[in-house]
Amino acid sequence: MDADELLENAKALANQMSEYQDNLPPDALASELSEAARVELIDECEEQFCQLQQLQSEITLADTESLQNPDHQAASRLNTLAAELKEWQEIQPKLLSSNPEVLLAVGKKELPCLNKQLEMVLSCSQAKRDNLKDVLKSELEWLEQKKEVLKAATEQVTALQEENSRLSEKGVLQDMKKKIHRLKEYHENLLETLGDILAEHFPLPQQGGNANKKRKNVFPEPRADLIPLHDILELLMNKLVETPHEPYVQINDTFWPPYIEMLLRHGIASRHPEDCFKIRLEAFY
Amino acid sequence: MSLLKPFNKLPELNTANILLVENETQFQKKLADTIVQLENDVNVIVRLARSLPLPVEIAEKRQRIDLVVFIVHLSSEQSLLSTEVSLKQLESGYFMGKMCFLVTGARCGTVPSERLTSLKKMAASLNSPLLMTEDGTTEGVNTAAQRVLNMLKISAGLVPMATGLYLSSLIRYTVPADPDWQDQD
Repeated sequence: MDADELLENAKALANQMSEYQDNLPPDALASELSEAARVELIDECEEQFCQLQQLQSEITLADTESLQNPDHQAASRLNTLAAELKEWQEIQPKLLSSNPEVLLAVGKKELPCLNKQLEMVLSCSQAKRDNLKDVLKSELEWLEQKKEVLKAATEQVTALQEENSRLSEKGVLQDMKKKIHRLKEYHENLLETLGDILAEHFPLPQQGGNANKKRKNVFPEPRADLIPLHDILELLMNKLVETPHEPYVQINDTFWPPYIEMLLRHGIASRHPEDCFKIRLEAFY
Repeated sequence: MSLLKPFNKLPELNTANILLVENETQFQKKLADTIVQLENDVNVIVRLARSLPLPVEIAEKRQRIDLVVFIVHLSSEQSLLSTEVSLKQLESGYFMGKMCFLVTGARCGTVPSERLTSLKKMAASLNSPLLMTEDGTTEGVNTAAQRVLNMLKISAGLVPMATGLYLSSLIRYTVPADPDWQDQD
């Protein structure tokens, strides 16, 4: 408790005092006991004093040997304590005089004392309460700070974990797998698209039917076992990939000549410089 | 040689008698002044003595002593020896909560620790309180006076429902249970 706080408390106390000062009864008219009450009290005192004198003479008469050794000390101490304990157990609370005047006087004397003590308790407890309030406030602030720290730390941990998983071997592996998967999908997509285009735009020559009747005269009837352009391209590509040193494919009768012609003209395939029955896929890479 | 007895005279109304015993008199006087200043309700009579026994000539006029305080300066060997001699002049009734030791200078590092140890042993064997005080500062003297005064009021019977024996049982100096206490202190 610092000096300012004490000052504040004192001020508050003074205010309260002045507030209820008017309600207090006027000061007791001191020693306005009646003669009867006074006599009664004096009688009581006389009685007590007689008892005291009696006890005193008993003590004086008793043979009080004084031994300084500790054992004797301890023994007599024990005796005295036991006697005191017995006394406490047997004692009857003595009532004050039943005279109302005496009671009033005692009460008047006691009340200011009690009042003073209670005021001290009040002031003390108020100071304590204020102190506790301050403590609570600071504790709450502290809690708030700790919470913020915890939040920041959690975020940090999460970020670090993410980074860690990204950097670790497993993470790299997974990343790679993902990429491969994407590539495969893309590749498949391309293949499908190519297949669709080929199927749609480069069909095999139809056998029979009205549409080909005119061409019958110009071209010989195409063979029944022709392979589609799709297969030709596949053959070429496979050959190039499997044996890069010998990418040429032997042309046979199952290849429809117009398609071969088209591949050669558009620069997709090229002939073997020495053997005109061999073609290879152009090197696009 | 007459022993000092606690119950050989009748008490007086609203009066408490205290006897400060000190070989050197500087702290005694300060303490006496402070005690008298602190107490307003009760008539406190402070007596000073360098040692016991008290002179026999005025023994009849002297009121009964309610509390005997032995002031021991740890810085002087003589103080301790004088206290030991003076203790023999007390009637055993004083050891039932009507005496205490007041030690000063215990904070000083150069004081031989054996003095404090022997004083502690003495206090423990007599079941009496041992108060550590500071004689150098006003605050220390005030505190000491307040403590002595509280004990005095009780031992003079001015506090209802409390006796010196009861109080001294609570605040008496006891030997620690530690078996090697004697070596440590």
